[in-house]
This record gives sequence, structure tokens and C-alpha cells, in this order.
Amino acid sequence: MEKILDKQRLDDWIAVLTDWDAFAPAVEDDVWAFRPVAGAVRLDHPNTKQPPKGFAFPQREVFFTFEQIKGEAPRLTQKLPQGKRRVAFGVRPCDGRGTVRMDRVFADHVDDPYYQTRRNNMAYVGLACNKPVSSNCFCLSVGGSPVGSDGLDVLMTDLGERYFVAAVTETGKALMTVAGDLLKKPEVADRQRLKDLHAEAVAQPQRAIHDADGAPAKLKASFKSPLWEELAQACIGCGICTFLCPTCHCFDINDEVTGAAPLKGSRVRTWDNCQFPDFTMHTSGHNPRPSVGARLRQRVCHKFQYFFENFGMHQCTGCGRCISDCPVGIDIVHVVNKVTEHAG
Amino acid sequence: MPANIYLPELARITFIKEEVPGERAIKTFRVEPLNGGSFEHECGQCAMLSVFGRGEMMISIASSPLVKDYKQFSIMRVGRVSAAFHDLAVGDVVGIRGPYGNSFPVDDWRGRNLCFIGGGSGLAPIWPVITTAVAQRDLFKNITVFYGGRSPRDIMYKSELEKLRGVADVHLSVDKAEDGWDAYCGFVPANVMDKEPSPDNAIAVTCGPPIMIKYVIQNLSQLGFADEQIYTTLENKMKCGLGKCGRCNVGKDYVCVKGPVYSWAQLKNLPEEY
Repeated sequence: MEKILDKQRLDDWIAVLTDWDAFAPAVEDDVWAFRPVAGAVRLDHPNTKQPPKGFAFPQREVFFTFEQIKGEAPRLTQKLPQGKRRVAFGVRPCDGRGTVRMDRVFADHVDDPYYQTRRNNMAYVGLACNKPVSSNCFCLSVGGSPVGSDGLDVLMTDLGERYFVAAVTETGKALMTVAGDLLKKPEVADRQRLKDLHAEAVAQPQRAIHDADGAPAKLKASFKSPLWEELAQACIGCGICTFLCPTCHCFDINDEVTGAAPLKGSRVRTWDNCQFPDFTMHTSGHNPRPSVGARLRQRVCHKFQYFFENFGMHQCTGCGRCISDCPVGIDIVHVVNKVTEHAG
Repeated sequence: MPANIYLPELARITFIKEEVPGERAIKTFRVEPLNGGSFEHECGQCAMLSVFGRGEMMISIASSPLVKDYKQFSIMRVGRVSAAFHDLAVGDVVGIRGPYGNSFPVDDWRGRNLCFIGGGSGLAPIWPVITTAVAQRDLFKNITVFYGGRSPRDIMYKSELEKLRGVADVHLSVDKAEDGWDAYCGFVPANVMDKEPSPDNAIAVTCGPPIMIKYVIQNLSQLGFADEQIYTTLENKMKCGLGKCGRCNVGKDYVCVKGPVYSWAQLKNLPEEY
């Protein structure tokens, strides 16, 4: 299904999606974030500070609550997500590909009911990047595309005064069907403009991982390289790289207590971070990843070696957030290139 | 709706025994599910235990799969959840989910000599293999058990080990000599070299502190054990048990799913990060 939407009718489309809670990028506290739609939506954002991964994998969520009188069996109450279906507009193609990778993690081996429930309730309307949205974009070199539709339900392309709107999934078709007459049939000129813009988009200069295909083998051979400690030397372990990553899925599970007699509380999942020393530290004090170098190696090798070995795809989608927001300038493109070049 | 993999079953503590006193105390707990049924497990698998309000911890199941009425865990008091567990009493209710991970291929070892080498609390993860082999004594040839602690007080499963004598060769050791100790004095790997177990038609299974495992494997190799004849079980910090929370990996393998049991031949191919 391929349609045309006049830009000033975008709000009307969102308005008729009454079965859905709609979200779109908006500036909040000086940063771009996916916010519930309130008022006019203008999809002129660069990229959001945080990827949309939090829709299906929120930073904090309650698994279940417990209430226990000492010595007795506790009462456990599951807190599976509920609510209206949700749709996010303006998702960039790199983040669409991020969703594909999150799906692999949370649906592989055994399904994660919290992720699955939220994910099944979620639709992503993407926006193609006619130009790189950041100077650190490198999606092309990791197998992505600024106009790609992986993981999206709809892909919109900005043609100037109008959007070209293409359904990717059945969910996407359903969203477009609701729009009715708001969406028009594309003219030959629209299709030509789309083709030209997409061709221009993939020809835009980007940064590049030079040998993403060779990375798994080369990183494997570089496990003991002294470069890891050297490249990680400035790391302060803040973890911003993984919190802003569209594919980082690591989490912690803890109990939060709100009452003593009877004991009341919740078992809670929160995002966690491989750049923190205690992420892997045993209770004994032994730590398999005791240094910043070991932790940088874990992040990079997870993205470009381990994930590939397990799933046949790189875990990095080239959004560049971890580069743009690292306070000490650690640059995953530089790190991968340097280590793989050194491996020969 | 898929089953909720994070929701524990409830189980009652029916038995507690103090194995080792002091700062690094070890207690053995038996738990029985409240709902009557429970999961089946295999030798070497783990379970996630909950003390509600304190959290979860991954612990090796120390009882044999042949024991159906309860699951046994021997736990050292070291962290937040293990300390809370130590403070529980018989009759208290905890959470349990699992089993997690792979297992020792015990059935493949029929007709072979089995040599177990444990140190400290590392006897617990291999205890289900030992007790399973002893319960099916005719299926295996010689059974040898090496086990050591820091001092005589640190020896766990004392009476159980004594009961093994007669069906198995038991070689105990302590790191430092003390009055009244007449078995071997020295580290576990040294005791192994002292007794020189034969690699002939043998399988060696070892678990203990990482440094002990390292030297045990070195010594077994020196004695002629091939990499495929040596097994160990890894431990790593774990939260989910399902290969999702991201912290227990060694290279591409999440230990909670692909491990914890590895032959040395397999482990050698993983990055040295455990």
C-alpha cells in the first residue's frame, strides 16, 4: 500500500487513529524525545536523544508485586502491561532496525512476556532520512539504509510539501486504512521524486565502519589486544553509550520494598549497563571484566562479534548516539576500525 | 500470552543444616514446592531462588535428579540475598524458578571411572553427579572424590563424605595444617598430583574457586587427561537465567543457557573472561 499525505493533513491522520495512543518526537527539557501527541506534529526532528526502545522495554517496569506475612506464603500479583495500542511517528530507519534486534533477544530461546505484550501492542511509523540526521551517522556501513524499512510498520518519506507513505506490515496497512481519504493515490511524479530522493539519501556522505563483514573474525582474533585498554583509557564508566543505544538490552532485576509488616514490595526490572564494574562482579569480589578495557571490549564485541555469531547480524545499527553523547569522545566507529585494521 | 518466565513458584523450606560456621558460613537448605509438583532437573543445572523483599540469586541444585521430594541447595553467606536466606527458618516460604542451563552428560559416562575434584563451596554443584553415580553404582567403575577446604571447619558435607567411603575413594584436604587433621595438608590441586588419578577410561569433574579450577585442569592435563575428559561448571553473576539480561556471557555464550557445564575442550575455545 503506497499513498500520499499532504503535510498539513498529518495531524488529521493521527486524530482519526482513535484506537491508538500516538507518540511523536517533541522537544522536552531541551532534547528530542517521543512524547504523547498534543497539538501539531511536525516531523522535522534530527533524531531523538533516546531511541524508541523504551516503548517495548521501559527503563523501569514492575514484574509483580508481593505481600508476605512473615512465615507465610506471599501473595504474588503479576503486572503484565495493559492499555491502548500505541503508535510512534517519526521513527528513523536505524531505530527500526534496532527494534528487529531487540525482538531477536526477547523472543529468542523463550519469550519475555513483558516485552512481547508491549511489542505486540506497538506500531512504528518511520521517517526516511533524506540527509544524515547527525554527523555521526554510519548506518550504510553496517548494512542499513537511511531509507530502509526493517522493523517499521510504515515508512514515510518527506517529498517537500507531501509525504510518501508506504505500508511495510499488515499493522501498517491497518493504520493507513483508518486514514481513508486523507491518504491519496501517488502520482507518477511522486514516485519519481521518491526514487530520486532515496537515491540521493543513500549517496550522502556518512561515517563508515570499514570492514563490518570481517569484524566478527577480526575481533575474535583481537581479544587479547592491548588496544582495548588504550582505547578505553578515558572511559569514566557513565554508561550513556548503552542507555542511548537502540539495541542494548541488558537489565537488572531487584526487589523494591514499600512496607515492612506485612512485607510489601515489587520485583522490578531496570535497564542495566555493561560499562558498570558491578555489572559482572561476583559476590566474592571476583570480576570477569575488571577493567574499562574489558568492558569496552564487551560492548564492541557484543555489537560486532557475539551478536553476529548468535543471530547472523550485527547488533549496531549505526545511529551514532553513543559517539555523539560520550562525554570523553570514545567513538565506536574509530574503535572498530582501529582494532580490525590492527588485526590485519 | 506466553508463560511468565519471571514469576517464581513458591516453595517451603523443610530442612536446614549448618555445614560450615563462621564468616563464610555455608548452610544446606531443602525446599519443597507448595503446589505439590515441581520442575524436573538434571545434574549441574541451577535454579533462581527468591527471598521476597531481598531479591533473587542463582544457585546450583545440589540434590540428585533422582530425589523427587525436595531440591537441595548449599549456600555460602556472602551477599544480600544469601545472607537473607541464611536468616530463614524451617517453614519459611521462598520463591524458586528454573531449572536453568545445561547439564553434565552423566549417562554418557556409564562404564567409566569418575574422578571428582571440589574445593570450598564448589562441592555443591558437583554433588548431584556424585550422588547420582553412587545411587547407580553398578553403572560406573571407580569413583574418586577429592575435596578440600581452607581448614577442617570449612569442610562441607562431612558426614555425607564419610558415608561415601566404601563405595568411593575419598581424599580430603585442608589448606593449612591443624591439630587433629590426619588427611592431606595442602591445596586441592596438589592433593590431586599426590594421588595421581589415572586418566585411563576416566572423566574428571571439577568445581571450586577459579584459581583452584585453573590449577586442577593444569595438573589433570599433566597426568594425561585429554581436554575432552575434563569437565567443569562455571559461575557468573546472573539476573534472568534466560540469556537476556546480558551479564553472564563468556564470548557469545550466555552461561545461564549454554553453560554452566563445559568440557575443557569446549571452554578452551571461549575467550578467557570468566
